[in-house]
Amino acid sequence: MIMERGKPLLSPVDPPFIWLSLFLALILNMLIGLGNYFWTPDLLAMTLVFWSAHQPRRVGIGAAFVFGLLMDVHESALLGQNALAYTLLCFGSLSIHRRLLWFPVHQQSIQVLPLFALAALAEWLTRLFVGQALFSWGLLLAPLIQAALWPVLSTLLLIPQRRDRSSALNRTL
Amino acid sequence: MSLESIDHTPPPFFRQGLSALSKLALFGLLAVLLMVSDERFKITNPLRSTIATVMSPLQWLILQPGYAIGYLGSYLLSLQEARTLSTQNDKKLTLDTLKLQKIEQLQIENGHLRKLLNLRPQLSVNAQAVQVLYETPDPYSHRIVVDKGVLEGIALGSPVIDESGVLGQVTRIYPLVSEVTLLTDRDQSIPVMNARTGQRNIAFGNPGHASGELELRFVPPGADVEVGDLLTTSGIDGVYPAGLHVATVSGIDRRTDAAFARIHATPLSSKEGRHLLVLQQAKELAAPPADIPPKPMRSKNTGRIKDALPAMDISEMGNQGVRP
Repeated sequence: MIMERGKPLLSPVDPPFIWLSLFLALILNMLIGLGNYFWTPDLLAMTLVFWSAHQPRRVGIGAAFVFGLLMDVHESALLGQNALAYTLLCFGSLSIHRRLLWFPVHQQSIQVLPLFALAALAEWLTRLFVGQALFSWGLLLAPLIQAALWPVLSTLLLIPQRRDRSSALNRTL
Repeated sequence: MSLESIDHTPPPFFRQGLSALSKLALFGLLAVLLMVSDERFKITNPLRSTIATVMSPLQWLILQPGYAIGYLGSYLLSLQEARTLSTQNDKKLTLDTLKLQKIEQLQIENGHLRKLLNLRPQLSVNAQAVQVLYETPDPYSHRIVVDKGVLEGIALGSPVIDESGVLGQVTRIYPLVSEVTLLTDRDQSIPVMNARTGQRNIAFGNPGHASGELELRFVPPGADVEVGDLLTTSGIDGVYPAGLHVATVSGIDRRTDAAFARIHATPLSSKEGRHLLVLQQAKELAAPPADIPPKPMRSKNTGRIKDALPAMDISEMGNQGVRP
């Protein structure tokens, strides 16, 4: 893989860690969703975007769909509403993943903002079709918060792949 | 460089499965299909119920920190506060006992009078105590999830009340939990009666109001409604027993240019309480009065229509406000 000069080489990802992080994101998402605000950031969506950009061969649209269904049942929303949004989100992330990873993390958040906005729009449109849509300014805030949290999440989820660097450098041959 | 840093599976150059676009099409279509079958045909309940049962341990898990904090808070409640609370409750209990004794006597009297006048006996309802698990994390709707389901005998469409009034109705049942739609949800409606004037109406949930509000529609501008009027269930729907408190009228907007007055009401039940009662619907609903002639279209079908009439009527009544 062609890499940017000076970019640290990451160790390969641990597949159980991917699923653990997605699972934790699901739990956290369920927890913070209980506040019932329009502007709550969707951590699960962010984690899905992250992994489908970083590990497109391991986390794909199928996983996004399944996690979407779980959220649908938890929210007791229309079955398939979150699934559709996550599917679109994951597709968007897959289609920009080659470009996205060339940018430093804070610039990546500008790149993922349209993705989050599109997913939110898709969800809102589904509600509109069913006749449940309400407009609130908080709706516009959610994608912005998600984009702002992107660098934090990125750094956190890459920690396991950055480990061992110092020990590898200092080790005696 | 250790072997650890090499990804063990080389990327498959030729077998990469479906392309992202075809996967998008596949899962997108599947999602749309699910949504249509959920909204229109209502056939996704087994799937939903399975996922809900699988997820219920997770939901239990995420609720524990909140419970722990609540428990700690109540544990650390000062003695003074506990004493005040106890005194208040004692007072309330005494007052309620007084009322209860009166009610018992009145019930006996009422029963005698009803017998005397040959009226139909009033329905007695059984109740089941449940606890609120969480409010569904969907800002568009007003629903809560409670901790008992089909296995404990919760039935679809049962009314749910708390200590101060009607809260809503059971609209989805899973094996372990069930979902209650609050009266303030936009899809929910409840037949009410103004306790002061005896006027019957239907109260609808008003979604535009964030904290939850009811709205009486189709009330003529000249109707006798005042702010502060108590609305109780009218009991003519066969779902809610008569006489339960529902709401108080909080605002009346009479406009000369509109055909109807806009009447807002605040529900009496509080969303904060954790303990609720699910009322079991009476199995035998009152049959429609016998003196209504069926008016058959064809004379030879008279018997069939007469037989079919009560069942039809009941199912219509039962479905009022229920979203299966």
